[in-house]
Amino acid sequence: MREQRKKSSPIKNNPENGTSLAVPARISLMNQWVSMGGEVIRKILLKGGPIVAFLFLITYLTFAAPYFFTVSNGLNITRQSSMVAILAIGQTMVIIGAGIDLSVGAVLALSASMSAVAVSYWGLNLAVGILLGLGTGALMGFINGVIIAKGRIPDFVATLAMMMTARGIALILTQGLPVPSHFTALKLVGYLPAGLIWLGSGDVLGVPVPALIIVAITILGWMILTHTTLGRAIYAVGGNSEAARISGISFVRTKIFTYTIMGLLAAVAGIVVTGRLNSANALMAEGTELQSIASVVIGGTNLFGGEGGVVGSLIGAFIMGTMGNGLNLLNVSAFVQRVIMGLIIIGVVVFDQWRRRRFAV
Amino acid sequence: MPREPLLRLEAIDKSFPGVHALDHVDFDLYEGETHILLGENGAGKSTLVKILSGSLPKDSGRIILRGSEVEITSSYHARSLGIGMVYQELSLIPSLSVAENIFLGRLPRRRLFFVNWPGIYKKAQQILKKLNLNIDPTVLVKSLSLAEQQLVEIAKVLSLNEQILLLDEPTSALSEEERQRLFNLVNELREGGISIIYISHRLSEVLLVGQRVTVLRDGKKIATLPVNEADEDTIIRMMVGRELKEQFPKEETSPGKPILKVQDLEVKGALHHPNFTLHEGEIVGIFGLLGAGCTTLVRALFGLQKTDSGKIYINGRRVTISSPEEAIGLGLGYLTRDRKDGLIHPMSVVSNITLASLKRISQLGLLKHRKEQRVGEKYVNELRIHPPDLTRKLMYLSGGNQQKVAVSKWLCSGSKILIFDEPTRGIDVGTKSEIFQIFNQLTKEKVGILMISSELPEILAMADRIFAMRRGTFTAEYRRGETTQEKLLKSAS
Repeated sequence: MREQRKKSSPIKNNPENGTSLAVPARISLMNQWVSMGGEVIRKILLKGGPIVAFLFLITYLTFAAPYFFTVSNGLNITRQSSMVAILAIGQTMVIIGAGIDLSVGAVLALSASMSAVAVSYWGLNLAVGILLGLGTGALMGFINGVIIAKGRIPDFVATLAMMMTARGIALILTQGLPVPSHFTALKLVGYLPAGLIWLGSGDVLGVPVPALIIVAITILGWMILTHTTLGRAIYAVGGNSEAARISGISFVRTKIFTYTIMGLLAAVAGIVVTGRLNSANALMAEGTELQSIASVVIGGTNLFGGEGGVVGSLIGAFIMGTMGNGLNLLNVSAFVQRVIMGLIIIGVVVFDQWRRRRFAV
Repeated sequence: MPREPLLRLEAIDKSFPGVHALDHVDFDLYEGETHILLGENGAGKSTLVKILSGSLPKDSGRIILRGSEVEITSSYHARSLGIGMVYQELSLIPSLSVAENIFLGRLPRRRLFFVNWPGIYKKAQQILKKLNLNIDPTVLVKSLSLAEQQLVEIAKVLSLNEQILLLDEPTSALSEEERQRLFNLVNELREGGISIIYISHRLSEVLLVGQRVTVLRDGKKIATLPVNEADEDTIIRMMVGRELKEQFPKEETSPGKPILKVQDLEVKGALHHPNFTLHEGEIVGIFGLLGAGCTTLVRALFGLQKTDSGKIYINGRRVTISSPEEAIGLGLGYLTRDRKDGLIHPMSVVSNITLASLKRISQLGLLKHRKEQRVGEKYVNELRIHPPDLTRKLMYLSGGNQQKVAVSKWLCSGSKILIFDEPTRGIDVGTKSEIFQIFNQLTKEKVGILMISSELPEILAMADRIFAMRRGTFTAEYRRGETTQEKLLKSAS
């Protein structure tokens, strides 16, 4: 089985990894252990890697940080993770389709700025403002898709260019200042409406609105991937785009759809963050593209496409959010936090690769 | 007088979840012999050699090499023990040159880390020459045909000078002529003292290369016999374990209206007016040697190859086909020659089967999983896809079973015109007849089948009309029963 995996990706196929002679004992022990624990352990290790990691993390922090395991901190983590979680759902689809979207942070900022400018400078009503923001996000995603699919430009390059362009447009739109602000040349018509703020900070019967949005989007993403022909097409294109083409699946349409959904979700995330921070600006959410990609990878989706799912990515986003929160509670300096985050991502992915090779059918 | 075998396997056992791939299999190999390993798809042949080549760990059992027990831990370790493996699926790197591929991982160096390029090319040339291969070692592997790649693969392993060679279905991509060349090579190597384990499911190869035959079925060893006791009937019975139906169960049908007409199709340098008409319920066979243009022709029909001129009529209406999507919309289906081009490896068996019929198992873009399940089960049962697990990822199926999935995909697509490029490649005898049964059923439902095959017996038996193809055009047309293997081969070469 290992051999087959290797061959499906010749790039990684380094024929020898110089295994030492000590290995056989370990392998056979492992086999015994696996056959003893049987199917259950294997299933958990195969499917539930991220969940196990998440539970570990929570258990550790509960004992290490006194205020960690409280309701208010839980809600806090949920709000903090919401932005990356929403992006990660869209990024999952993109990555399963063997793509990658580096522009999500920039598109998020542009869409959020668009909504905020529309309501506070142009005096449009809230619904129109939100629709304008969502439309902007979807349009940027659509453009990404068209450039990648029609222009046959690598996903990485096209979305890198979009990342710069969208930030630039956002800066022009906001004149480089937070919105709303009294210092712009545009006349300030009003502050952000309460409805917008509710989307980021409100709650329904004690449940934060962003949490509800995440749940809805996760279900939507799961539905798309598992219950629609579009989802099937995404897996097919990501798994083997030539075979998908020969089976009559349109590469162009699939790519465009995926990136448009991604753009739309970036806009949703943008509106949620704007509501939470009570402000939008052109430089918000920098680095979230990489955080969303990290969440997807931690969640067990194959970075080379064709395999994965949204639930893992959601857990991935929460692992990242919880980690940040926990390190804060443990008084770890922000500088050290970055190092730890980096190491954790590598650790998780190494573990993930290992368990896939070891426990795959 | 019994000598001590060079290699002895005792009670090798290997399970994958849900499959007992090898059930206490014993096997031995003497010096200077070719031992053939036969069995149906999924019988455990590949698993056995993968354990020997160190790419899979065994669960239990002993491997005794030159009288002492060894644990083979990696393919590197296997190589250092003198065991070299030629894989069934190619393991070459397409973007590197032939010479680089041959010496991959051990490029001769000049000083420090500078590669000795002239030396490599010269050495590679020598190796290729020894095999009588006319391949330039400086060209990139991706520019070679599949058969040439297979030969380079073999050259690569031979260049290691191993004492034991494992060949996993080395001829599945080769033409008749190249196959013959490979047999000569295998025999020469054996006479030179190399021991060979040769996996195959082609019975005709047994006599040509082997000294002894071991038959595996469902992970168990059935028997080991010398080749002179291994007549075709005995072996088939051992492999299949049940009464075999007729191998080519052709049923006569009366062709109906023309559904596909191809006129004056031209691709500069590759295709020159191969004119033909395919009727409802008819099987048209095209036979050509490698490079004759058979594949170019069908790729052009399926919108994968630009044409310079020519007309295609479907049901009497002139059409232009510029993408597979359009072709499928017009009722065409195309099984690619290389199954890797038609299958999605990380996807489940059932998703692969229904991939070309998503419209039929969905409504308003929503998949109907239960219906999909039923379709999948139907083909898994009919073609005996093993293991019969719909959710298993395709990459964990053996090669022959993957081919069955690829065939199923087009069988269930509801296409009216099916193009099959080597439909039985890598498929065992038992299942071949199942596939041909389904061909019969399809022709009764007025489907027209265009079948390209290099297996002479099957094309002669199954096709209503046969075209011989050479240099991009048809050189002869025969009705069923009008020609023989020799005549057909002659018109094609």
